[in-house]
Amino acid sequence: MKISGIKYLANQGIENIWKNKMMAFATFCVLLISLLLVGISILFYFNMNSMILGLGNQNEIAVYVETDTPQERVDEIHEQIKNIENIDTVTYISKKEAYERMQKQISQGKEIFEYIDDYQFMPDGFSVTVVNNDQLRATVDAITRIENIQSADSSPQVAEFLRELRRVVTLVAGAAIIALAVVSMIMISNTTKASVYSRREEIQIMKYVGATDSFIRTPFFVEGLVTGFFSGAGAFFITWAVYRSVYNVVVAQGMLINAFGAGSIIPFAEIRIPCGLAYLLIGSLVGAFGSVISTRKHLDV
Amino acid sequence: MVELQNVSVTYSGGVDALNNVSLKINDGDFAFVVGSSGAGKSTMIKLLLKEIDATSGNVIVNGYNLGKLKKRKIPEFRRTLGFVFQDFRLIPSMTVYENIAFVLRVLDAPLKYIRKRVPYVIGLVGLHAKTNSYPDELSGGEKQRVAIARALVNDPQLIIADEPTGNIDPELSYEIVELLKGINDQGTTILMVTHEHDLVRHFGGRIINITNGEIVYDEVVTGTNCDLLPEVELAQAMENAANLHHEYSMPDGDIEENDIPYVDDVIAAITSTAKENGGAEK
Ligand SMILES: Nc1ncnc2c1ncn2[C@@H]1O[C@H](COP(=O)(O)OP(=O)(O)OP(=O)(O)O)[C@@H](O)[C@H]1O
Ligand SMILES: [Mg+2]
Repeated sequence: MKISGIKYLANQGIENIWKNKMMAFATFCVLLISLLLVGISILFYFNMNSMILGLGNQNEIAVYVETDTPQERVDEIHEQIKNIENIDTVTYISKKEAYERMQKQISQGKEIFEYIDDYQFMPDGFSVTVVNNDQLRATVDAITRIENIQSADSSPQVAEFLRELRRVVTLVAGAAIIALAVVSMIMISNTTKASVYSRREEIQIMKYVGATDSFIRTPFFVEGLVTGFFSGAGAFFITWAVYRSVYNVVVAQGMLINAFGAGSIIPFAEIRIPCGLAYLLIGSLVGAFGSVISTRKHLDV
Repeated sequence: MVELQNVSVTYSGGVDALNNVSLKINDGDFAFVVGSSGAGKSTMIKLLLKEIDATSGNVIVNGYNLGKLKKRKIPEFRRTLGFVFQDFRLIPSMTVYENIAFVLRVLDAPLKYIRKRVPYVIGLVGLHAKTNSYPDELSGGEKQRVAIARALVNDPQLIIADEPTGNIDPELSYEIVELLKGINDQGTTILMVTHEHDLVRHFGGRIINITNGEIVYDEVVTGTNCDLLPEVELAQAMENAANLHHEYSMPDGDIEENDIPYVDDVIAAITSTAKENGGAEK
């Protein structure tokens, strides 16, 4: 095929959008809505996930070193913990700090402290957070195995609960996203089918004059590609606007709901590029192949 | 060249549309195909375009054995012929120019050639003024001329026409056939199905009558002679004549080639038709 031939077919595809503007607009809208539904659901899921992970990170491991461990050994232990897999942060808590913490926690029993003014009885300790809360138990075990560690406590129930929560959220969100994707596919397929159906005679005539299937399909491909690209772009800008306003509202309330992990909401800037690319790519591909697949039935003459 | 060898077509519903038909149309022929409604004429056209396949027998068109033709070779085959249909089959979203140029685009012809050839054929059918009109903006006769221009733009060996005059005024029909005759004079084989017996009578040529899926008559008739025939449906008469052949099971080739055409039969048929219908059937 000559370059002029390819240019002709590409031009035909673009002209066809204009010539069939009603159907092209319908396809554009259906694609846009589908992309938005699925896209926003996925972003919602990502944020839920990120929030739960954020909660998990607040779930720290309290590590206590045996009393009477020399300071050099404590520093060594600090390094050893750092080198364990899955460790996010390790904060050293000196005897004094531990003492003050305890004072705060047992606020009602202030009188006790009047008798204990020496914090030397407190052990040195570390506050450790992990990267992946799901592996909390393994990490705790690893820390316990280090010499001179008296105890490493975490609340496995919280970790367990959060893991369970994430599993449920993933299942529910996954099912919802799959359902939305399926419904979208059906809507898109019906729209492109209707669009192609209205031009079936044209396709038949082309077959009669000896056009090959790929010759007939190429303009349909280009047409779907361009329509899908614009749907993707539209969906991206709408998502951007919606996401930003929701993000601002939530962050403004941040202090109140930090407890729910709202601090872990993903800022849009972080996902702008992958999100935009995904929208454009999926929009274009679904548009193009939806259109091409719908021609198949009519090509058999 | 078109050749049917013992071709039968049975539709899925069990209708025998063609029954053991053999036929040969040589290069450069102009053949009319006549016959009553439902006789199998369009079925034959569909066979020749490889829209359907024969249930049995061979169909050979322009050197392609259609029964054995691979699916991906169909486009290549179709490019060797032109078609004209009663319903024009123009692409509504394309102008006259684009409709005709499309055929050459399919052939991947050079742009320079397309720009010369398309206006030339539009000129041949006298539609220069309508070059940039859309099919919706044309009359039936004009649409059919566009279809003819499209059929001949790639210089096909064969043009197949199924009732090309079916949707246009009778007076314009002559113009259309005239056009096809002109194309035929240039060497293109033409096969035309028609219901308009006036046309057949006027132009003459090879006349093939299909009745109940069988060829019952196939002769070359001189056009002018036919003008002398009385105003009775010629084809109807021929059909009846053919039926007479049938009834008495006349052997093939009983009528000599250059005999004055079927005189006895026609007269017999005319009288019988006249008797039955008072000469004004259909
Ligand atoms: N797709 C089909 N399926 C089943 N039967 C069909 C089909 N097409 C045609 N037939 C039958 O085959 C027979 C021949 O039909 P065909 O269209 O060839 O007739 P025709 O000679 O072209 O008639 P007309 O002059 O009315 O156009 C008819 O009995 C018709 O009902
Ligand atoms: Mg017919």
